[in-house]
Amino acid sequence: MSSMTKVASLARPARRPPEPRLLGRRRTHYLYILPTTLLFVAFVLYPIVSVVAMSFFSKDSASAGTGPLANYQAVLTDPIFSTAVVNMAIWAVLTITIQMVVGGSLAYLIETHTRRTKAVLRTAFLIPMVTSVSVVAIVWQQFYAPMYGPLENLLKSIGVSMQGISLLGQPSTAIYAVIAVNIWMYTGFSMLLYIVGLHRISSEILDAAKADGATGLRLARHILIPMLAPTTKSLLLLGIIGTLQTFALVFLMTNGGPNHASDVFGTQIFRSAFRLNHMGYASALSSITLAIAFALTLLQLRVLHTGLSPTGGGNA
Amino acid sequence: MAGTIPNAARRSAGHTSLRRRWFSRTTVVVLAAVAGLWLLPIIYMVDVSLRGPNDAFDPAIVLPSATLVNYQTIFHDNPLLGYFVNSIVVAGATTILVAVGSTLFAYALSILRVPVGRLIYAGILMTLMVPIAALVVPVTQELKGFGLLNTYAGLIGPYTALGIPFATVILVSVIDDLPLQVQEAAIVDGANSWRLLLDVVIPMVRPSIVFIMIWQFITSWNEFFLALTVMTDGEMKTLALIPQQYSGVYLSSPGALFAILALVAMPLILLYLLVQRWFVAGLLEGSVKG
Repeated sequence: MSSMTKVASLARPARRPPEPRLLGRRRTHYLYILPTTLLFVAFVLYPIVSVVAMSFFSKDSASAGTGPLANYQAVLTDPIFSTAVVNMAIWAVLTITIQMVVGGSLAYLIETHTRRTKAVLRTAFLIPMVTSVSVVAIVWQQFYAPMYGPLENLLKSIGVSMQGISLLGQPSTAIYAVIAVNIWMYTGFSMLLYIVGLHRISSEILDAAKADGATGLRLARHILIPMLAPTTKSLLLLGIIGTLQTFALVFLMTNGGPNHASDVFGTQIFRSAFRLNHMGYASALSSITLAIAFALTLLQLRVLHTGLSPTGGGNA
Repeated sequence: MAGTIPNAARRSAGHTSLRRRWFSRTTVVVLAAVAGLWLLPIIYMVDVSLRGPNDAFDPAIVLPSATLVNYQTIFHDNPLLGYFVNSIVVAGATTILVAVGSTLFAYALSILRVPVGRLIYAGILMTLMVPIAALVVPVTQELKGFGLLNTYAGLIGPYTALGIPFATVILVSVIDDLPLQVQEAAIVDGANSWRLLLDVVIPMVRPSIVFIMIWQFITSWNEFFLALTVMTDGEMKTLALIPQQYSGVYLSSPGALFAILALVAMPLILLYLLVQRWFVAGLLEGSVKG
């Protein structure tokens, strides 16, 4: 049984076979789980319960009427909500697929074709991920800037003219400009997880495949892609969760603008709670976000039967 | 870390090996070029921070001239050291607490098999994917109620609680795979649960604990959303909040702004360069299993 199916099976305790308890039962053993349990209750469980309660009972000027679902009605009928849903769908599709394809290709090429440069190349693609998102946002704002930003200059040198367009300032391009930065930041993460996945494929299998003459695309299609499927599944779920919690890049680069064109749930939650003081609306949108996250977690544990570890998993 | 895959590639026999070696060389060159392009924004950031006021708006990525005048300006004008200390305290404390909390919990679950542990773990697993965006509102309200806004504890508590699930999942999977014989031998020798943890289990899972700590430090150092709503006092802000604060102040002086950006980014980039060996090793350790 692989480690990750083990993780998944822990969520279904009944199916786990009994194993010997090495040190017997002792009351003091509960002390080991105490700190984590207390923190979990204080900063995860209680906030979840309270935000769901607030979504039903907190009323403000944005609520649609006085019924228990007034805040949900306000959220669901808000045109910003549908814009955010569309933006996040675009965000998820583009970031997940591009980061997977580019990250996976980088992982394969780096692991199979480099030796002395391996550590340097791995690190180069991971540096954007360890750079503070607030730094990234401002650097890219200037990178994108018309007139003095380097991007326009770079594109001009390969014959593409931006004609003084501000990518972040136009409603039709703003979300894509931010998505590009997200891809730049996190492709290294996909690469890293695929590197782990590649190390899990035994060299005997690869040798056998190569002895049979499988190279290039055939090797990828028949050996690599199927065997990396657990990593791909994990990246898919992590990508969707990452999309749900997208906030900092959008907030800092466009603040959801121009005119809400690049809004996501995160920016709308922040604005309604901390700028407009619409706590009911913000709680309802938070609860919707939570519900989607829970649904995905259940889907992953029960249907996809993969673990939740970001390192992927499954049988090698 | 000698990978297993290159060996497989190298072992291929005969006349194809020359062609393959040539292909590998070309691949390295292409990868290096892509990596260079990938790092352009970082290079640009450092270069702008080294420009004098007349060159700051030049669209070139790199200019030949360099001056440290921006760094003098920002150090002279701002209490940057204070923000740095805030980030160290918050990220450092969170990292230690996550490592301790998740190790104790994973040990209790995998080896001691504490009865309610499995139930709590199922709860933790369910919330592993909870996005911070959904918790910002209630956590900020809760902290306000406890008087913890603008305190270190106000960030350390939630960061630790949100970091432990991920760390626990990794440690449980690693500890589950430890050989039972070693633990049994220690118990026969009279080890109690505490000694078994300290002398046997922790040394065996050390690479994974190191990985968890590096990951947690990076995550806490860079976290933005909760820090924005919890640390509203100027003095308590962490480094992640500083660039936004100064982007207005230094609007007409990108050189100074980018010097601040470089100063915020560099500690973590340098730290990562130092620890990347253990980071990748810990990740591989925690997952390479048959």
